[in-house]
Amino acid sequence: MRNVGALARREMGFYFNSPVAYITITLFLVVCGVYLFSMDDIHTGRSFFEDNEASLRKLFDVIPVIFILIIPAITMRLLAEEKRSGTIELLFTMPVTDTHIAVGKFLGGLAFLAITLLATLPLPIIVGGLGNLDVGALVGGYLGLLLLGSAYLAIGLMASSWTDNQIVAYLLAALICAFFYAVSGMVSVVWAGAKDALAALSFEGHFANITRGVIDTRDVLFYLTFVVVALVITVQSLQARNWK
Amino acid sequence: MIEVRDLTKSYDDFKALKGISFTVQRGEIVGFLGPNGAGKTTTMKILTSYMPQSSGTVTVDGHDINDAPLKVRELIGYLPEANPLYTDMLVYDYLRHVATVRGVPKDKLKERIKAACEMCGILPRVGQRIGTLSKGFKQRVGLAAALIHDPDILILDEPTSGLDPNQIVEIRNLIKRLGENRTIILSTHNLPEVMATCNRMLIVHNGQLVADGTAAELEKRESASQRLRVLLRGVDPEAARAALAAVAGVETAHVRPSAEPDAVRLEVIAREDADVRAAVYRLVVDRGWELLGLEREVLDLEGLFRKLTREM
Repeated sequence: MRNVGALARREMGFYFNSPVAYITITLFLVVCGVYLFSMDDIHTGRSFFEDNEASLRKLFDVIPVIFILIIPAITMRLLAEEKRSGTIELLFTMPVTDTHIAVGKFLGGLAFLAITLLATLPLPIIVGGLGNLDVGALVGGYLGLLLLGSAYLAIGLMASSWTDNQIVAYLLAALICAFFYAVSGMVSVVWAGAKDALAALSFEGHFANITRGVIDTRDVLFYLTFVVVALVITVQSLQARNWK
Repeated sequence: MIEVRDLTKSYDDFKALKGISFTVQRGEIVGFLGPNGAGKTTTMKILTSYMPQSSGTVTVDGHDINDAPLKVRELIGYLPEANPLYTDMLVYDYLRHVATVRGVPKDKLKERIKAACEMCGILPRVGQRIGTLSKGFKQRVGLAAALIHDPDILILDEPTSGLDPNQIVEIRNLIKRLGENRTIILSTHNLPEVMATCNRMLIVHNGQLVADGTAAELEKRESASQRLRVLLRGVDPEAARAALAAVAGVETAHVRPSAEPDAVRLEVIAREDADVRAAVYRLVVDRGWELLGLEREVLDLEGLFRKLTREM
């Protein structure tokens, strides 16, 4: 376990020793703050102050979409860069298994995501000062973001294991995340019968449940399953070097 | 310590290794020698369990590399050919990272990092970002990382490639020091490198082992002829060559380019059993030439290397 921790710490170190972390977090906070306080709600068409409701629901609606753009930027280098620079050879000749590598990299990304989410805490504090905040919905919202973000991270890591090109890894990850986010809406337009089945696969549907403050084990398991499947595929892809 | 049996490796249609067998004893420094593309790096990548062989077996300290890859990796310190490093990290942070992943206990971390840095002469650079170091220092950081867990075995792929002559000498001395209590396999296409650092050499060519032994053993095996270098002044090169070629025991003589403008350098190939130095000297005295140098090349490994690794 100690070596997995070391691998995760190395990734954290990379983010915070370079401008990557600070730019990502700043960008995320600015977008969230501007959207919450200055823009009209995409559903009601009213601004935050016109709505007259101390709620972050509006924010939780839009962050999953922002994540589709930001999380692949966090994950794109995780394995692709190791392959391009050749450092993967060091990794593969250290006494760690491919599972250790995949889990270590995933946890490094997850820690960064958690810090990014922590940085948004001033927003609920401000909103809470303006009126009565539904704490259940707030906790559910953050938990939902962490779970959804984990699934995106695992997908990003998987995409990063398929290529040594970070741009390709980014685009693939964003594409797959967007697909699973919007799958029920997209496909049901042409095939109404599939809506229910696809809703079960959609990130959005499960996320909406959790942000209402209803934490159902099925929704939690849904995301954890996604994480595990993507990590298993990542490990398989690392082991592909043994196929010859 | 390391036992390799009938090792083969194919990349698609290309056979990089065609059945290599050798054994390395504890404490040996073995030079893995061969032209580029001979199979040196492929062998090392298999030994370090970076990639699997196509057939054959490798055991390291009794552990099969396929059955117990993690155990084997613990025993080995590896410096890959391109010396890949996390260039964004500080030297100290990088070594600490490698040591932690390699399972060095927490209370031993500082001690091991310091020992590795001292051994490789990078103690004054521990606070520097790896990306800002010169190539020679990067190589030392790679070496320090390879021995951070105090491994019994070091595998070094072209440890001196791309370094300047001063750095090469430093790295060679370091390798010799490291070899005092470790088993080392290093690869190179550079013969003087092996002569300077190794006590045994394995020559590979086209995926096959073509020679295995100490420098002296290989020399004995191949020295059907010997080479003499003669440096003369004030002679006609062609006349001197013809006269030397006529000496009893001499097979051929060639004029070679000379560094001094008025001197003539000749290379004389003689049969092994004939010591022609006295005869050459008498010839020079008889003709009244000025003799500037006469030297017998004892170790003709370069010729052996060229002979063994000529394209077939």
